[in-house]
Amino acid sequence: MAVLEGAIVYSNLLVLLSIGLTITYITTGVPNFAQGSMAIFGSFVSLSLWLLFNIHPYYSLPVSFILGGGLGIAIYTLVLKPMIRKEAMVVTLMIATLAVDLILLGVLGAYSDTLAGITSKGTKKFIFTPMDFKLAGLDAILVVSSAVILLILFALFLLLYKTKFGIALRASMENPALAEIMGVNVEYTRLFSWFLSGSLAAVAGSLLPFRQEIVPATGAIIIVSIFAASIVGGLGSIYGALIGGYIIGMSESLITFYLSKPLGPSILLYSKVVSLIVLIIALIVSPKGIAGLDIWRKMTWRRSTSS
Amino acid sequence: MLRAKNLSAGYKELHILFDINAKVEKGRITTIAGPNGSGKSTFLKSLFGLATIHSGKVVYKGRDITPTPPHDRTKMGIAYLPQVENVFTNLTVEENLKIAGYTLENGEYEDRRELALSVFPELEKRLKQKAGTLSGGERQFLAIATALIRKAELLMLDEPTAMLSPKFANNIFNKILDLKDKLGLTILLVEQNIKKALEISDDAYMLASGRVVFEGKAEELLEHEKFGEFCIGV
Ligand SMILES: Nc1ncnc2c1ncn2[C@@H]1O[C@H](COP(=O)(O)OP(=O)(O)O)[C@@H](O)[C@H]1O
Ligand SMILES: [Mg+2]
Repeated sequence: MAVLEGAIVYSNLLVLLSIGLTITYITTGVPNFAQGSMAIFGSFVSLSLWLLFNIHPYYSLPVSFILGGGLGIAIYTLVLKPMIRKEAMVVTLMIATLAVDLILLGVLGAYSDTLAGITSKGTKKFIFTPMDFKLAGLDAILVVSSAVILLILFALFLLLYKTKFGIALRASMENPALAEIMGVNVEYTRLFSWFLSGSLAAVAGSLLPFRQEIVPATGAIIIVSIFAASIVGGLGSIYGALIGGYIIGMSESLITFYLSKPLGPSILLYSKVVSLIVLIIALIVSPKGIAGLDIWRKMTWRRSTSS
Repeated sequence: MLRAKNLSAGYKELHILFDINAKVEKGRITTIAGPNGSGKSTFLKSLFGLATIHSGKVVYKGRDITPTPPHDRTKMGIAYLPQVENVFTNLTVEENLKIAGYTLENGEYEDRRELALSVFPELEKRLKQKAGTLSGGERQFLAIATALIRKAELLMLDEPTAMLSPKFANNIFNKILDLKDKLGLTILLVEQNIKKALEISDDAYMLASGRVVFEGKAEELLEHEKFGEFCIGV
């Protein structure tokens, strides 16, 4: 796969993951360290459907979406909500998500053994690239991942700006207490955000094996990039997550690649260092993330006064 | 219409209000006066279910609503306007109105919206603007308009004229009086601008250190010695 195409695919998936992380952070205040493993859950959903029923991973995306959403809701209602009720501190919630991450890792590992037993195929490590094909001269994964991003952004836009529930969701994000006063059941909006976060993660996870090899512990590695993207985006808005995802995704893929030319391929192992360095630079330039940059305020200000 | 019975409330273990007995009569304006920090805002929050009730009851239309969550109180016709952050600044004026009608059927929402805009025609040309770009006075208009949309029968307003110019404050007081006279709403008002507030009020309470120290007609409080003491204290 050409370097640039690969970088775009990776960034598309990273955007799905950082949007999810950002939304649950806004609505429930939980920095979710299990987001990476929630994606790998999606990878295993698609792997299972492929091995067991011969369903191509592109066709299993809706199943991934729904099961991933279920996982998101389960994590929120079974683990986080009871702790939030008891007014747990953010650090406590964060550690709880780390625990969830470890549990998911264990479950996925055990599941991959079971799956290997049933199908007598190796499932500890897998990759979908051999299954990919060409669409209009491009790798299908490039087309599919870009289409998924566009579709999801469009659907999110319609939901958030054109439906009553979406307005309630945005209202709850800004001021949950006031939303409650207005008669919105804010708990539904929290549940929904976890559903969405889980489903976007699982969809990203279903597509990730087209770009890299997956093991049950891959989630613990990609979480670094997800956090870098979300924090660069400011952890406060969906636009921020979108821009942060592309900044981190592109720089991680492209900078590592160009460094590997003079320095040798061993540098590829350290690609996450690149995202962390970009993160640090971004935070020095704009401590509140991209969304806190002055130029945005000026731009939105201009827009609202010119209209 | 609304009664606090031996109400003691605060925030978690913190006790702020002690054994409050008060009532808000239907179709009247009741003002709560009292120095800063005496617990006026906490009292409104406890009536709406946003503070911790330590003992006592809140009764609305003869029903004990002490355990009712705030969003259900909204559906029962109680509207509470917080002192600060009472509109969604990232949402447009139109969206703020829409979210206020969250619990209404569509047709009903349209009627209420029309009513709210007829009371606050100033908002009409601001509909597409983000609420964060409104002036302080317009923001209060919008906040009260959202309460009208919610089909509020009882309006609890926490210092709606704070930080407004005297001209705008007068404007708000006139609107509040209109709400009572023309729409028959019941209003519970907390005000710093106490003289003005008492002039449009029927009944009054005065709080000090979380206890009721005066209860009676608004004009009585205006003449009462406690009011003088309080004004000197300010
Ligand atoms: N959210 C809160 N948590 C803890 N204490 C609070 C909170 N809000 C107000 N208080 C305290 O409650 C007391 C009464 O405050 P408040 O009801 O706002 O008074 P008022 O509205 O009459 O000025 C004050 O001592 C204030 O510090
Ligand atoms: Mg107050």
